[in-house]
Amino acid sequence: MEKLKIEGLKLSLELCQFDLRGPDSSEKIVMGISKVLASQEINIEFLTYYPNRSNNHQLTFCINQDRFSDTSRILKKEGSLPMGWEMSCRGHVGIISIFPHHSALKMLALIMVSWGKQSIPIHGIATSLSAISLTTDYHVVDKAVEVIQGLFQLPDNHAPLKPELLYYQSAMVKED
Amino acid sequence: METIAVYWESRIKTYGFQRITDLALIEFSYPLSEIKALGEILSQDDLQMLRPKFMIAQESDQRISFILCLSVKEGRDFHASLEKPPGPTPRRYIYPVGIIFFHGPHFGDRYGIADATFSTLSKAEIQVIASGCSSSSIFLVLVQDDMDKAEKALGETFEVPK
Repeated sequence: MEKLKIEGLKLSLELCQFDLRGPDSSEKIVMGISKVLASQEINIEFLTYYPNRSNNHQLTFCINQDRFSDTSRILKKEGSLPMGWEMSCRGHVGIISIFPHHSALKMLALIMVSWGKQSIPIHGIATSLSAISLTTDYHVVDKAVEVIQGLFQLPDNHAPLKPELLYYQSAMVKED
Repeated sequence: METIAVYWESRIKTYGFQRITDLALIEFSYPLSEIKALGEILSQDDLQMLRPKFMIAQESDQRISFILCLSVKEGRDFHASLEKPPGPTPRRYIYPVGIIFFHGPHFGDRYGIADATFSTLSKAEIQVIASGCSSSSIFLVLVQDDMDKAEKALGETFEVPK
């Protein structure tokens, strides 16, 4: 059977994931947490927010693995989270972003079936205009990519899977 | 070899705001241990035609919750199909909602973008129904009537090409 074509595949660096859950408080939690992370110059690589089942709100975000300890410490500090909020975290995750050619849902369904067969977990999903991003455990990223490469056809001249150039926002203000 | 480039941006640059209106938001959940079965359900022919404008999934209490934004017709049909066993458990259907999404030259590389976005919306007293930030893009699902107000507020915070 002919493989479905995709336009590209990209892997993140090693990240960590935080899941925050709690009652009500609306989007104030997103504002509060993103402010704390910005104050520590921590880039959020992935974020999903939704007031999910039973009116519990959930904020999930991924940041670079080297900021795991700092961030855990800050969020565990008393008063960092609103009353009734709980935190769980995963120390080592990766994001695989797939740039679909056609139907995102069809591709996602295929990935869910194939990853399910191989016991590759999905910890989060978010789509953008051009990509589907899935978070999974970092130690299974290579296996997860291998499964995807078996399902879909990448263009011959596709870009490298792992980032080769890193950019940082400088803390220094440029002087003219 | 690692190559590092450093830049400085006084006001966060964007390529402008885009919006999609008249959407329905559907939430459903499924046991995490049966994600393969959910993949098989979503592989059904009548669901293959769906074109979600936005989708996120979150893991919680051994279940995975999906949030999809679809056109009204697709949303109505999909919601009805979820109610047929053995499909996933439908939780919520919200209509009408709209999406504002944007990205910029340094999204994905720098800190402070989520802070700028959510602080702006909070100050403007705009409720965010759902959000997903990935692949250097920010997607905000809002009550449709708040779209103009949100775009105006965000336009004052971020740099938008003229």
